[in-house]
Amino acid sequence: MQRYIARRVLHSLLAILAMSLIVFSLARITGNPLDVMLPLEAGPEDYARVSRHWGLDRPLTTQYLIFLGKAVQGDFGNSWKWHGHSAMGLVWQRLPATLQLAGFALLISVLIALPVGVLAAVMKGTVWDSAAKVIALLGQSLPAFWLGIVLMWVFAVHLGWFPTSGKGGLQHLVLPAITLGWFQVAALMRLVRSSMLEVLDSEFVKLTRIKGLSEWKVVWKHCLRNAAIAPLTFFAIIAGVLMTGAVVTESVFSWPGTGLLVVDAVRARDFQVVQAVVIVFAGIFILTNLLVDILYAYLDPRIRYQ
Amino acid sequence: MRSRFVPLALVVAVALAFAVATAPLVGVAQDAKTPRLVFASAGFDESNRFWVISRPDHLQYDPFLETLLEVDPKSGEYTPRLAEKWSSSPDFKEWTFHLRKGVQFHFGYGPFTAKDVVHSHSLMMRPEATATLAGFWRQVEKVEAVNDHLVVFRFKRPTTVMPYAASRAGDLRIVSKAQWDKEGQEGFEKRPAGTGSYRYVGREPGLSISFERADNHWKGEKPAFKELVFRLAREESTRLALLLSGEAHIADLPRELQKDALKRGMKIYSSSFPVDWMTVYLGGQYYLPGDTAFKADVAWTKKPVRQALNMAINRKELLKTVFAGKGTLTYVTGWSDKSEGYNPEWASRFDQMYGYNPAKAKELLKSAGYGPGQLKFKILAFTEPGESEGPQVAEALNIYYKDIGVETEIEVLDWAKVREMFRKKTIQCCMWPNIISWRPSEEWIRTSYWSKSPNHHYENEFVDKHYDELTKAVNPLERQKIARTIGDHLFEEFADIPLFWFANEVVANPKVVGDWVYPGLAAGRSTHFHLVKPAK
Amino acid sequence: MATVTARTLPWYAPPRMALALRQLRRYPLVPVAILTFCLVIPAVLASQVAPHDPLKGSLANRLKAPAWQEGGSLDYPLGTDKLGRDILSRMIHGARVSLVVSLVAILVGGAIGTGLGLISGYFGRWTDSLIMRLVDISLSLPTILLALVLVAAVGPSFGTVITVLVVLLWARYARLVRAETLAIKERDFIARARVAGASHARIMLRYIFPNVVNSLVVLATLQVGYVILLESALSFLGAGLPRPTPAWGLMIADGRELIVTAWWVSMFPGLAIMLTVLSLNLLGDWLRDHLDPKLRHV
Repeated sequence: MQRYIARRVLHSLLAILAMSLIVFSLARITGNPLDVMLPLEAGPEDYARVSRHWGLDRPLTTQYLIFLGKAVQGDFGNSWKWHGHSAMGLVWQRLPATLQLAGFALLISVLIALPVGVLAAVMKGTVWDSAAKVIALLGQSLPAFWLGIVLMWVFAVHLGWFPTSGKGGLQHLVLPAITLGWFQVAALMRLVRSSMLEVLDSEFVKLTRIKGLSEWKVVWKHCLRNAAIAPLTFFAIIAGVLMTGAVVTESVFSWPGTGLLVVDAVRARDFQVVQAVVIVFAGIFILTNLLVDILYAYLDPRIRYQ
Repeated sequence: MRSRFVPLALVVAVALAFAVATAPLVGVAQDAKTPRLVFASAGFDESNRFWVISRPDHLQYDPFLETLLEVDPKSGEYTPRLAEKWSSSPDFKEWTFHLRKGVQFHFGYGPFTAKDVVHSHSLMMRPEATATLAGFWRQVEKVEAVNDHLVVFRFKRPTTVMPYAASRAGDLRIVSKAQWDKEGQEGFEKRPAGTGSYRYVGREPGLSISFERADNHWKGEKPAFKELVFRLAREESTRLALLLSGEAHIADLPRELQKDALKRGMKIYSSSFPVDWMTVYLGGQYYLPGDTAFKADVAWTKKPVRQALNMAINRKELLKTVFAGKGTLTYVTGWSDKSEGYNPEWASRFDQMYGYNPAKAKELLKSAGYGPGQLKFKILAFTEPGESEGPQVAEALNIYYKDIGVETEIEVLDWAKVREMFRKKTIQCCMWPNIISWRPSEEWIRTSYWSKSPNHHYENEFVDKHYDELTKAVNPLERQKIARTIGDHLFEEFADIPLFWFANEVVANPKVVGDWVYPGLAAGRSTHFHLVKPAK
Repeated sequence: MATVTARTLPWYAPPRMALALRQLRRYPLVPVAILTFCLVIPAVLASQVAPHDPLKGSLANRLKAPAWQEGGSLDYPLGTDKLGRDILSRMIHGARVSLVVSLVAILVGGAIGTGLGLISGYFGRWTDSLIMRLVDISLSLPTILLALVLVAAVGPSFGTVITVLVVLLWARYARLVRAETLAIKERDFIARARVAGASHARIMLRYIFPNVVNSLVVLATLQVGYVILLESALSFLGAGLPRPTPAWGLMIADGRELIVTAWWVSMFPGLAIMLTVLSLNLLGDWLRDHLDPKLRHV
């Protein structure tokens, strides 16, 4: 078991290292940040001065090594666009907003998917099942930003139920979360439905039914508990998807999260921030995968010997 | 049984949906009596380090950090602000400013003296300074606080544009040396003390910056609105939504949405003067002998082609359709009637030389050797927050040029990429529309038409020679003459495709905002918020 | 497993019509019909079907309302956009663009993914590890970021968008094919083939691949919709197809700020995307249920 864990951890570290190299190169092919930092009026001396100040005049390999050396200590340098903030500081500052949005979106998608999925499973084959499927699929078929703008227009401006943008209380979260989470409803619903179907048909449930236990109890206690394991992996994947999908939603609602941070950083050629965000995101994803893999290895010994 | 389950599930689902939909509400609309004014801005680089922030983004300092000179909201003239009087030496190398007495910094940091001016200038000299005029401020050889209320700037060469740079249109924000000494950069950045009629309160990064009315302003300025908030919202539809729902009272809106706002009872507040101009620039015009970047196969290195490209455009229609008719013609790129060297003759000659005449345009192309379908090039387009018309203009150009048999391909890039291309002189392939804000003629020529500027797009011996003369000339009449010569030259040569001058327009809620006069020429465009009078 | 059982509840007796319709539901008629109408016919016959040139507009006709609204005309049935181009024609040509982009991206991504998945599952050990690491990395690259960076560096073009999509898509195929390969390669007939002297390549292509095709088809169908949505998201952020391509995503992005004044500019392409993707998803679901129910996890 320990050898398995050690191997997986090593692989994850290598993956993160590879990510850092990819990100470093990708960021730099976008162009020269001086074209964004300096005004049109800047003269050649200004270019030289600012380039020297940020260490951009050094050869690429030196820059990468310096970057790597500092990154290992958690220092991703200072942002060029968000003056005075460190790149990592910005990420930590904005990450809670995105996590909050993603979490709430997940909650909303669960709130919709759970009853719909259960309904579809219990009413399998009927028009309810198909209707549920279509409703959930609708979410997967709408362009997110379009949905966001329409929601904002209808609920925030015309009806005035929610604020139009920005971060504040619970009411600011609702529209962005619906926009973001709606997409996942279909997949979640399908998962709930199939898990429910499997368990509903299982011998175990038939036994409890014969015993005369209330069907209601059967469904909620036993089915859902057993069906909860598969969604675990699913949540790990969803987390990643939601965090990157947040970019579009954050743009529409001006939600100050990491998605928006990344878009602005790329536009401003702010390598330091781009590197920091990508590595943090990748790190979270790789870490989640690692934990899930280890969890499964613990539950199912066969996997360890692969 | 199962049957009991179904309606229950439905009820639960409906209840949840209802609960979510009627989640805690907040009274979002604010009534007209509120003492808070909210301006929805397209966004700016947020930082208190004014020395790294570009001029348009100095909007965020306008309420609370002042400059030596003011820009008069009605006349656009440079008038006294923190400096009462100013004068220059005959050779324009030395500028003396007599400072106002009795000005106090916010938060109790003491009186404003010449030392604060020296300190503020020193901030501009920091190695990371990337403000628009950072290069200009580095031309200062020495800045000296002769006494508490007298400061002298000594320049390396004759400098006639100092009043512009030291005014509200420039970027030398006067901050407190005492605060810096006591609290260091960290303390300054946390809560910068200024001298304006508003005081800095705080920021929510990515969301807003807030100010509150300062007591005892040195001029006795008392803004009508006790609180002022600049709300950042990059999406135009969000800004419109903020305005219509009452969350914001003034909003920076693109022309398309202005129409809709007007339909719902909003009002437009225009700046007193045209602030920005739009021109389509032609790449690859490197006419200095021996310049390897010059490619003779670039069609518009021939004058008839440049003229044809100008005459193919129906400026009136373009103005009406893309800019809702709000603008005036630009005759020579960068020159407004306020500029040094403006020639009123351009206006009368413009139609004949640049006017809409597709037949003549085709003729000119043919004379240069380009029959229908033989000329192909790229149009580069990009958008910046608050400036979304680039791609629209590009697409309109595509249609006009198609009419005269010219094939164009539009490439949407970002501004940084386009800048990189003309810095590296690889932009021979393309033309690009761009909106730039007004600056003195000498500055503009130096930036875009002088061969030694990293960001120039046009160079020839004539302009270089006359620019050199201009930098040495100090007599105002002589300067006008030289500047006009350069302007005339660019006019005759069809150096670019000039389009329109625009005033800055914002949309406001007439229930909250009554009267507002602002020049538009001050750094940040939407300025002088202390002059916003509430609705009656 | 693929049988459909009707559950009758005591208080709900479906009319005979509904029962008959339920029989028809064996075949995904509705999705296929919508798809043919919205995607295939427009894509193939675009130039014949569209009433106007999608790229040519006149500024005098800009922002005309759809025919049934005040100010609209049958000349431009669904209205015009900011530059006076006919929305209906652009949507029809857009179908072609969307279809081409997604098919190319999926074919290329699928081919690469399948190839790598086969190799990874078949050879195992180091190759497997390496390829799975690549899969991990590729799945952890934030989608939008990659597109933004590429476009910022290289400029928007068909090639850039396809590249981005391929980089994002191949990993899913690789994972799926690897999992299937792992399951299949333990079977007897593979061992017999090895004994008979078949080369690795032959085994992979002739024995393993055909058993994997079902899952691939399901995944591909489900992904066409996803790719179309992704392309529209990229266009929204300015990292999508170049102007003036009549791509649905670009059209919505164009009409973004006009959603109040000229709602039709964004609404109709949005509806087109929705219908197309919905049908594709329904079709994919049906395919999955009927081709191989074991694929529930796809």
